[in-house]
Amino acid sequence: MKKISNIFVFIIIILLNFNSFAEEKNYHKELITDWSRIFPDQNRNAAGPKFFKYIIDKKITYKDFIEFNKLYCAVSGSLIDPDSEPDFLFVNESDTNTKICGNYYKCCIPCSCDIMKYSKVQKMKYEFDDGIKEFFVFTIKNPCNKNDFPKRVNKDYFCDGKKINDKQVYNLNDRIVIGLLHDGRSCNKDEIDYVKSHQVTGRYCELRNNTPLENLDAGMGDIFIKLAR
Amino acid sequence: MKSKLMNFLKKIIVLTILMSPNIVNADFFEDISNKIADNPKRLSYGISVADIDQNEKYEFIVTGFGYPNLALSYDNGKLINVTSQKIFSDEFRKTIGVAACDVDRDGYEEIYFLNTDTYSGTKKYSDRLIDLEGNKFLDMFEIEKNKKELNLTAGRSVACVDRKGNGEYGIYVSNYGGPTRFYEIENNKIKDKSADLNLDKVTGGRAVVSGHILTDRSDIFAANERGANFLLKNNNGFFEDVAFDYRVDDVIQNGRGTTLSDILYRGRLDIISGNWQGYHRAYVLRDNKFKDIGNIKFDKPSRIRTIISADFDNDGYDEVFMNNIAEPNKLFRIKENGIFEEIMLETGLEPDGFGTGAAVADIDGDGILELLVSRGESKEQSLTLYKAKVKKDSKYLRIKPLNKYGAPARGATVTLITDQRKHSKTIDAGSGYLCQMEPVAHYGIRKNEKNFKLEVKWTNGKKELINISELNKTITIKQK
Repeated sequence: MKKISNIFVFIIIILLNFNSFAEEKNYHKELITDWSRIFPDQNRNAAGPKFFKYIIDKKITYKDFIEFNKLYCAVSGSLIDPDSEPDFLFVNESDTNTKICGNYYKCCIPCSCDIMKYSKVQKMKYEFDDGIKEFFVFTIKNPCNKNDFPKRVNKDYFCDGKKINDKQVYNLNDRIVIGLLHDGRSCNKDEIDYVKSHQVTGRYCELRNNTPLENLDAGMGDIFIKLAR
Repeated sequence: MKSKLMNFLKKIIVLTILMSPNIVNADFFEDISNKIADNPKRLSYGISVADIDQNEKYEFIVTGFGYPNLALSYDNGKLINVTSQKIFSDEFRKTIGVAACDVDRDGYEEIYFLNTDTYSGTKKYSDRLIDLEGNKFLDMFEIEKNKKELNLTAGRSVACVDRKGNGEYGIYVSNYGGPTRFYEIENNKIKDKSADLNLDKVTGGRAVVSGHILTDRSDIFAANERGANFLLKNNNGFFEDVAFDYRVDDVIQNGRGTTLSDILYRGRLDIISGNWQGYHRAYVLRDNKFKDIGNIKFDKPSRIRTIISADFDNDGYDEVFMNNIAEPNKLFRIKENGIFEEIMLETGLEPDGFGTGAAVADIDGDGILELLVSRGESKEQSLTLYKAKVKKDSKYLRIKPLNKYGAPARGATVTLITDQRKHSKTIDAGSGYLCQMEPVAHYGIRKNEKNFKLEVKWTNGKKELINISELNKTITIKQK
């Protein structure tokens, strides 16, 4: 009896103190530490794809993958504060044009509009340390043939000649993966209504997405749009 | 039944204590600010520790921004300003950075005052390099032959670097919005050698330390803002920036207080670097790369200014004091294996303190370090002085290496070797933020520690081993 009570006490104390001992992984700090590895030329304009590739190339679990992908903006390439809230939005699926809903972590409001208009989502399967998982990713078409490739974006990050540079960015069926759509799934009607009536993803985005490119002065302006359109 | 319940509760209490997280709650410091004789509210910045009047006692040199620079000497139980010579006190030039070292090889440490009247780029008033002639201070930059080398760029910290290892100190000036400068005396003239030495980079210079970081010569680590940090490897007196390769470039954080510390008690100096509202780093060298081992409490972003690594309470383990501006200060004890244990401060917390600099020295000679904190920037505040509450039976050892010119061997490394540790300390060449500590390696002694030996690694890389037979004293070691 005494032995059992000893073991019980020990287990309780271990559990109570577990959080004190477990050094929580600091994903944000890790990205900050490795920033100069991800962007050797320090140009992160529209370089969300560089973050995605860097993260997926790590030997990590699916949970790590999810957490890392909350910390950069797929449109601008900016880091995002760890406590940022995502926007709930939808993006059309590349093959089916079905609306896929989910959460998008952004650096600023206009990026939500840009990603809705200029990207597609695709289903992707990948083997992590803890097994094979399936998820939705944002993709843009191969920009390497563009005559007006935006000057402020490092083309070498994206392109190897006219092909996608597989060493620098993730190529999914000849489209560049720019980020992760969190909690992605086919939208139901209520969700579509919610996104369309939301003050950002609905009203503001309608305004922004109907503004001529030369008049855009918020968010990444025309850099991402020129790359992705 | 009752006794069984009592036993059960006892077990819970004991285990909870044993397994409590790395936080220590006991008032660590005693506030002894009343020992500062005249302590008005003012805007103070960097602090250095040097013997300004050649009386074999160190003074705290406290800079003033639109207020006089002070030299606080301990006398009759009080810290008293011992100079009012205008060239030294110089209240109109707005001094923020300070470091002292023997640049002209006469055994006396000249004092470099970095003045800054603008945030970035070109400034109006140049820096001063103060020497003592007889009992009068003079500014070496005011001598005609030196005037063309004036530093007219805004800057922050300064550090002394014996790059050739021969006692000929140069001064690294961490400029902001203009090229870094590196002053040496060449043919009896002050000369900016930064371009020759590959140091004249333009950045937002903030903090700088120098010592045996990578090589057997004085290397430099400079923490910068809006740009990568520099880790300048000393290649026979010339410098190569290897910050990227060694993974300390930290390019999107904004560097502030920095110090060298033997974080793992393994007989080598590693780097602690604070970032302004960013993650603070505890860089430990492993396999030719620095790995940041700071835990979640240690690295928590804050409005950091100076960082000091020193054994305040003479327990044989170094503490890390983080001086934050307009935010509470923090203190950690570095336990074995690089574990940072937070010591919850009450005295010395200064939640409303506008900390701008801090330095340590055993200014009263009792074998316990005093911590002087300067404050100001956006609000005039007085200086504060602290001393750890030390156990009565605590012991210490203080090592004061002097180079062949008789000057403090700043940049040398002292290593205490015992049955319990191999513990290196730098003879401070400039550290924290805008500051410089006393040129003494101060060790508290651990419980039941024995077999004391000492190794001094001079700035030329040569080592000297010394047996220690007596504790509780300051040992002066002269370079042969």
